Amino acid sequence: MKLKKILSLTALVALLASCTHPTVPTDAQAESRLPRIFPDYTEVTIPCNISPMNFSVQEGASEVVARLSFPGGEYTYGEGQKVQIDEQEWQEILKASIEKSIKVEVYAKIGDTWKSYKPFNIYVAPDSIDSYISYRVIQPSYVAYEKLSINQLNLTNFDEREIYNNMSVSTEDMGQCINCHSYKNYKTDNMLFHMRQGFGGTMIVSNGELKKVDLKTAETLSAGVYPAWHPTANLIAFSTNKTGQSFHTKDANKIEVQDTESDLILYDVEKNEVRNIVELDDELEVFPTWTPDGKKLYFCSAHFEYHNDSIEKSAEMILRYKEVKYSLYSIDFDPKTKEFSNLQMVYDAASDSINASVSLPRVSPDGKHVLFAQGEYGCFHVWHNDADIYMLNTQTNKVKKLDAINSPRSESYPSWSSNGRWIMVASRRDDGNYTRPYIAYFDRQGKAHKPFLIPQKDPNFYTFFLRSFNRPEFMIEPVSITPQQFATKAKEDAVPAQ
Amino acid sequence: MKKNLKIQIKYIYLILFITAAYILLPVMNGDYLYTIQDNSVFIGGSTFMKDLMGREGGWLSWCSCYLTQFFYHPWLGSTILILLWSATFLMLVRAFRISSKWSFLALLPQLFFLFELLDYGYWLYYSKTIGWAFNHTLLFFFITLAATLLIGTLRPMNIFQKKVVARTMEGISFVLMFVLGTWLLGSWKFFHHPSEFTITMSDANFKHEMRMYRALDEFRFDDVLNEYESIQETPTNLMVLYKNIALMHTGQMDKMFATGNCGIKPEPDDSIKLRTSQLGAPLIYYLFGHINYAYRWAFENSVQYRLSFRNLKMMAVCAIFNKDFDVAAKYLTMLKTSAYYRQWAFEHEAWMLNSTKFVQSKDYEIVTSVLNDQANLLDGDDGLCQRYLLEFFSDLEHPNTPLLEDVCLCMSLWSKDYYTFALHFYDYVNKHPNRPIPELYQEGAILQRDAEESPIDLSGFMFDEIVNEKYKSFAIDYFNLQQRKLSPNEIAQQMKPRYGNTYWWYYYFYNDFEIY
Repeated sequence: MKLKKILSLTALVALLASCTHPTVPTDAQAESRLPRIFPDYTEVTIPCNISPMNFSVQEGASEVVARLSFPGGEYTYGEGQKVQIDEQEWQEILKASIEKSIKVEVYAKIGDTWKSYKPFNIYVAPDSIDSYISYRVIQPSYVAYEKLSINQLNLTNFDEREIYNNMSVSTEDMGQCINCHSYKNYKTDNMLFHMRQGFGGTMIVSNGELKKVDLKTAETLSAGVYPAWHPTANLIAFSTNKTGQSFHTKDANKIEVQDTESDLILYDVEKNEVRNIVELDDELEVFPTWTPDGKKLYFCSAHFEYHNDSIEKSAEMILRYKEVKYSLYSIDFDPKTKEFSNLQMVYDAASDSINASVSLPRVSPDGKHVLFAQGEYGCFHVWHNDADIYMLNTQTNKVKKLDAINSPRSESYPSWSSNGRWIMVASRRDDGNYTRPYIAYFDRQGKAHKPFLIPQKDPNFYTFFLRSFNRPEFMIEPVSITPQQFATKAKEDAVPAQ
Repeated sequence: MKKNLKIQIKYIYLILFITAAYILLPVMNGDYLYTIQDNSVFIGGSTFMKDLMGREGGWLSWCSCYLTQFFYHPWLGSTILILLWSATFLMLVRAFRISSKWSFLALLPQLFFLFELLDYGYWLYYSKTIGWAFNHTLLFFFITLAATLLIGTLRPMNIFQKKVVARTMEGISFVLMFVLGTWLLGSWKFFHHPSEFTITMSDANFKHEMRMYRALDEFRFDDVLNEYESIQETPTNLMVLYKNIALMHTGQMDKMFATGNCGIKPEPDDSIKLRTSQLGAPLIYYLFGHINYAYRWAFENSVQYRLSFRNLKMMAVCAIFNKDFDVAAKYLTMLKTSAYYRQWAFEHEAWMLNSTKFVQSKDYEIVTSVLNDQANLLDGDDGLCQRYLLEFFSDLEHPNTPLLEDVCLCMSLWSKDYYTFALHFYDYVNKHPNRPIPELYQEGAILQRDAEESPIDLSGFMFDEIVNEKYKSFAIDYFNLQQRKLSPNEIAQQMKPRYGNTYWWYYYFYNDFEIY
């Protein structure tokens, strides 16, 4: 009886094992093209510590098998249309493939026939990636919002957790909208995010201590909107914005989000003081970002003069929305005196020769490059199909379009990993509506490679997920403050800034 | 014999309850149940499930969403619901050994759930609770099942040998079950909205609206008009709008005022801020050829309230019109996992893969008939769909399809916009010099004939004799009634039988046009 049980158990284990590693069909018909897979991981370069690159085969097959060959071995996977790689085996594959590649051969059973497709490679870079990213999970909606959260994802093992969820303080009558988040030097003991409407205020973690402040003063346009932590001092640059939305009756872009007014402010976290950075007439300044040494602040600004006194500014802005074009500026900063000087236009995107508009600049950790999004007009490029990622070389002052990263749809929110080897962008390339985090390798020669969609345990996750990943940011450690702690603090009154 | 009688009474209670439930649900409120499923959603796969699991009561919501689909056939959905209620009743009676005579008490929770289902009224468009139609029923069913199994397990263990102990234990279980049930139900914000029971049960307009919406959605325009004709009460503005859309797509828009164009704003509960945006804006915009705005409101409503089959379908079809095939494919993939929209999804997928099929579709024919060729505008409706459409079409210059010409004229009349009507009328007459001018447009124009501020000169225009004579008699009657010092309302009532189907009556006496 015992023997029978042992035999049954062994058979079961063997059966399970065989399910994990399916057999490669021997009689497959060869197809000369690459397989259609989602996410598209063909010929991408990945970090040596990324989670398994699971994908689904979109060939209408009833069964699929993928053989992953790497130096020293091979594994096969496949269940239904999905290829989901065992996490432990993936570590083995990655370790063996550093600076080499993983060859992937895909087989699909269509009807009664097995087909084999042209193999592809996944290149494993010697460079690792920051273990965490965080992003705002939000419906790409127009005016309405309901549930939204800031989440953190461990890039090495799929583990996703909420940093803060607005529903923890929202009520039926009073919602709360979460805005941009930011970290100091990729670490989370100094971080912030802003909340609007119910229990509104800016949540700031300073040296691990959480506080809630109100940055709207008599002198500022609004509370802080787009933030940037200074890399060394306990200072945060913000833009303040008066923002409106309007809707296209026919255009594929569907929405415009426009600032009728905007400024830049500097917030001293320790003194709880706010002051203006630059005050220029007829300029719309936005998107501040520091250089790694903290001695320069980049930002975008559009020159816009209102002509028509008979209508409201917002109405005139709507009528002339295509005239709003932002260029890239910089201003020097002395961390000792905390004074700004030497305002310069770095890239005249609005000039007649370029006739474009830039947004969301981010300086590389070595200070040699500035990434930004560029489109025909405006500053809300996540809704502009023509928006692409460009890069400024700070030494030559030359700008180039990063063709390898871009797609026919919107790319925006670029950011650098802490080692400068990985670029993350928020892209709508998959369907035009939902923003997804794509990561591209940036090699030592300054070349950007084909980006890949951040892998998920279930490769169909993105297909069925109806929310966007906004403002993806790298972090080298997880946020340690719990969502409950944030929620408790959120319910307290904000301390007004001076 | 006595025992048999008791058993029979228990079943008689149940049969009475089942009969009442069938009458109240599929017989009397079939459209309501259909609309509930139309405003609900179920998506197969792990993402939807995972999303619900992250919420309070997620597993129940998932089951509830799955079952709500079956209200697509109100009889089927009701049967599932009633089976669950019946099973719960029988388990309660059995587990707690409730005597047959008193077994009707075990039907009270089910009666409450029945009441609760019918209690939503207009809230069904606004509730943010996912799977609300089955949630409480399922929760109570599972609690009762657990209690029944627990008692069934304990009973043979001789714990209940003594009758007193047994009864005490059962009593405690019963109380515990209700405490647990109440606590759980309480955590679901049990009393989350004011009662709309009377709306569901007795507001005929509420039902007419649902029927008209469904008929419009299925392009059964004649059914929309028939439904409107059957109305005994003053219709809601939304019903008037639905009726006019049906007239528009059957080429009878000039019968807009002849068929009655005066609506009211429904007043359910003060706490519901009724807006056309939530009740029907996506479909309304779609049928007026405003694809981006139809998509927008389907999206906004999905975000603000909850995702639904109705909105998912609208987003998919708008995406196809806009050639956003990738996002359309995403929505269609989701719909393919549903019980009743799978076929719809496959049909629409074929449109994406074969543009000839799309061009031959009814959707294409209907929507393109009102697609304006005006350049893109950056705009907004401030949440007031009807007002936006009235202004948009009144102001639209040079309508590019014959149907749009009618729409522009009628929208100007509807919004009592003298100026734009005059311009549209001028264009219309010049464009169709040999075509008889519909009476409605002449009724509108005759008001302009003597108006000083009219932008066009109508002194040479030959109005039909019948219109001329009718207008003269309208003016005389109006003057005479004014001489009798009657109030405007009294004049309106007195003139309604003879002139209620004219534009003049609408123009002079209908001043309560409340857009919502």
